[in-house]
This record gives sequence, C-alpha cells and structure tokens, in this order.
Amino acid sequence: MTAIAARAVGDRARSLTIWALSIGAMGVLFMAIWPSVEGAIGTAIDAYPESLKQAFGITDLSTPEQYLSAELMSLILPLALAIFAARAVANAIDGAQERGHLDVLLSAPVSRREVVAATFAALAVQLVAILAVSWLLTYLASLVAGAGLSLGLSLAGFANLLPLSLLAAGIAMLVTGLAQRAGAVTGIAVGAVVAMYVLDLVGRLDTSLDWVRYGSAFKYYGAAIEDGIDPLAFTGVLAAAAVLAIAGTLLFERRDIA
Amino acid sequence: MAVIETEALTKRYGGARGIEEVTLSVARGEVFGFLGPNGAGKTTTIRTLLDLLHPTSGSARLFGLDSRRDSVAIRARLGNLPGDFSYGPPALTGRALLELFARLRGMEDLSTAEALAERFRADLDRPLGQLSRGNRQKLGLAQALFHEPELLILDEPTSGLDPLMQEEFLRVVAEQRDAGRTVFLSSHDLSEVERVCDRVGIIRDGRLVAVERIADLLGKSYRKVALRFAETVDPAELARLPGVSEVAATDGLIEFRAAGDLDAIVKAAARHTVVDVTVSRPTLEEIFVAYYSESSP
Repeated sequence: MTAIAARAVGDRARSLTIWALSIGAMGVLFMAIWPSVEGAIGTAIDAYPESLKQAFGITDLSTPEQYLSAELMSLILPLALAIFAARAVANAIDGAQERGHLDVLLSAPVSRREVVAATFAALAVQLVAILAVSWLLTYLASLVAGAGLSLGLSLAGFANLLPLSLLAAGIAMLVTGLAQRAGAVTGIAVGAVVAMYVLDLVGRLDTSLDWVRYGSAFKYYGAAIEDGIDPLAFTGVLAAAAVLAIAGTLLFERRDIA
Repeated sequence: MAVIETEALTKRYGGARGIEEVTLSVARGEVFGFLGPNGAGKTTTIRTLLDLLHPTSGSARLFGLDSRRDSVAIRARLGNLPGDFSYGPPALTGRALLELFARLRGMEDLSTAEALAERFRADLDRPLGQLSRGNRQKLGLAQALFHEPELLILDEPTSGLDPLMQEEFLRVVAEQRDAGRTVFLSSHDLSEVERVCDRVGIIRDGRLVAVERIADLLGKSYRKVALRFAETVDPAELARLPGVSEVAATDGLIEFRAAGDLDAIVKAAARHTVVDVTVSRPTLEEIFVAYYSESSP
C-alpha cells in the first residue's frame, strides 16, 4: 500500500506544487494588501445589509483573520480543495480504470481496498503539503507586510480545511462505488459540496430554516481562523468522510472493473 | 491438479452477453491457447479469472483457490499482460514502473526485470508516454515475467509487436513451458497459437465451442488451393476427389477447398501442365465457419 501511495504522491508532485503555490499566492496577496485596506474595508462592510453579512458569516472585518475568513476560507478554498480531493479519488480509481491502468495494478497481489487506502493516504499527504505550504507563505507574507496575522489562528484556519476536503474525497469514493466514470465522480462530489454550502447559506439567511444547516458540513466547518478549531466538529467531519469512504470501498469491491 | 479450472463460468453485462457457461481446465505446465475472433469473450474470461469482473454464475479456481475469495493470493502467483499495456502518468519511466511492481510483489532485486527488458530491447529510462504501443507491450511483458510466475496470462500479447519481437516473444512462451510453467494465451492469430500451444480452446459468441489439441484442430481444418494450368481443365476432375469442395473455375484457374492430405490432388493436377500452385491456410474465422457450422444449432 505504501508503494502505491508513495508513487501517487510522486506522480502528482508537479500538480501539488502548482496547487500549493497558487493557494499560497492568494494568501500572500490578501496579506500584502491588508495593511492598506484595513480601515476602509471595515467601514464598507458596515454599510452592507445585516442579512448579507450574516449569510457570509461576516461579523466584522477589523482583523486579518476575519479578512482571510471572508475572502478565502468561507468558500474559495473549501471549494478549490474539494475539487482537488474529488479529482484525486476519481483519477486514481475510475480514471485509472478508463485508461486500463487498474487492470495492470490489480494483476499484482493488491486488494481493491488497499488501492483505495493508498489513494486516501496519498491524498491526505498531498492536502497536508498544500495546506502547510500555503499557510507558511501566507504567514510569512503577513510578517513581511506587517499584517499581524495570528500564528495559531491562521494555522487553525488552514488545518480546518483538511476534514472538509477529505469529506469531498469520501463523497467521491461513495460515487466511485456506484459510477464508473471519473468525470461523473468529480462532478457529483463537487456538486454535493456546493449544495452543502448553499444549504448552510439558506439556513443562515432564514433563521426559520436553521435546521437545514445540520445537513451541511459547512455548519461544522465554521470559521476556525477566527474562533480556533472545534475538536468535535473537526473529528465529526473526518468521521463522516471515513464512513463515506468505507461505504464507497465496499461498493467498489462488489462491482466490476469494466 | 489443474492450474485453471472453470465450472459453467458465466458473465453477463446486464442483458448483454459476456461469456456463457465456460467450463475448461488447464493443466500445470501446459501452454493453452484461447482462440476466438474479437468480441467472442476471450478478454471477459481472462478478466473474470483475475477477479476484475465478478461472475454472474459458475466458478473459477486457479491453483485450487477460489478466484473471488482468494484473488490476492492467486495474483501473487501469476503474471498478466493485457492487450494494450499502459500504466501511470506519461512521465513515468519503465524503470519506475518495474520498481513499483517489484515492491508490490515484495521483491528487492530488479536484475531479472532488467535482463528481460534488455532482451526485449525495452528502454527502461524513457517515459511511458513516449513509447509506441509495441514498446509498451515489451515493458508489459517484462512486468508480467520478472517475478517468474507459475502462471502467465497473456491477452493478445503480440499485438503491436514487430515480427522480430513476435519471434522473441514466442521463444519466451516456449521457455516458460520448458521451465514447467503454465501459460494461458489468448489470441486470434492461429499461426501464433499453432507454434507454441499444446491445446486450444475456441470461444465463439461467449461459449467455449471446442477444446482440442493443436494437431487435431489443424487436421480438421482445410486449405485453400488455387491451381493455374497452361490449358483449360475440367474442374470436375478435381471436384470428384475426396475432401475437395467449393470448386470454382475461371479459364485455366481452378480454386477449391481441400480437407485432409493433398496427395490425390497433386497427382490429378500433374496430368496437366501446372503453371502455378497456391496453398493457403484459412483464417481462424474461416475455420470456425467450416469446422463448426456442422455443430451449430
């Protein structure tokens, strides 16, 4: 299993670098401009309708953590990393199947669940690498620009993206157990993440519908860059990802490699 | 004990046919040819043996182990080369691929794999994305053989190989047999199968229609004969000979099918001035039609 996982990480090294540097560049950009927009943004936000601020979880924009939360952490990074994670699973299983690579791999004494486990192990390593590099770049930019980003909160904010990304991978694995096309797997998994975001948004906009947020991982995702990590929510989303991945693996073991 | 044993092995894709009640047995040390036209069910059978496809009904046992329950243990003892070998991203080199599969098989030593690659003239340092289909097949063959498996499963293995490499490949198969290993070789190339196989199974429309020794199969097949004479010859002279059928005559050219030996035909033709003689073996599909049309329902 480690051989497959190591190969998968090595094979995606270039893509990994691009993703890490791209996300890091966004963090660097926001930290570079924060000192110059610090006061103005707070005033502008005050003029926004209360419901809109509530919908996007913007209580205030007076700190660099709140700024990053609103600009990056609430939607852009969760969505980008959901796409990365879902594609990683789709390419490793259904993509490999479509290209005939799974036939070759499964000629070796490797079980299907080992292939899935290796895929998730490789993905976890890649996600941690992307988050670590992008956090480091963002934090260094804050130091250079004098933005004053909290080390602990920023680290919590980036780390909190891991369970949500793995949840997208878990959804992708569940779909993989049922579907045999990589494109469909990525599309459905990313669509599910977007749907959960919308569900959370609806619950925020209309308090009478607050209960629908319980069906969305974004309720548990919260805003760790402002409030720190909620250990229960963190492990809960990870557990949901694991359950989906295991269910997908069981289905994958029962289906044909067509 | 049989190395491969299937019992009414059936695979259907929804309502579509895959294979129907395939029952066969391949003995240890045997080179078994699995013949049939494209789409007959050869690859479906192989992929079911490898547990890539789950049988709809029936069962398969390899080394006495159940193909589904003991699949990992079975695959540790076999090598497999699919029809169009490909693996990993385009930048992956042959060496990296072999290193990965060596690790998966718990092997440290790559010397056998390197020797095989050298023998097949497969460049291990070039990325797979830059290799032709033939060169990928060479690499795939090294991958299937380097751990010296007890059973070698080859699905249309020479497709894309040049004639010299096909020769080399057939030598490898013969060596496997001489070493006491078992080879299951699917092909639609009769001449390839004829040269290396001990027995053949013929699959048609998903059903195993015959299992024959090679010599028996060829003995039952016919040849296509074309005789060109210097003068016009009455085709009836040849048509009445035993084993001759489907006679067609145009001026001095007489074409027909001949089953069995050609002695009587040669002697009859020799009574005239023969300008040219062509004797060709029918294609596999033609043998199917001639040999199995009688057994068709």
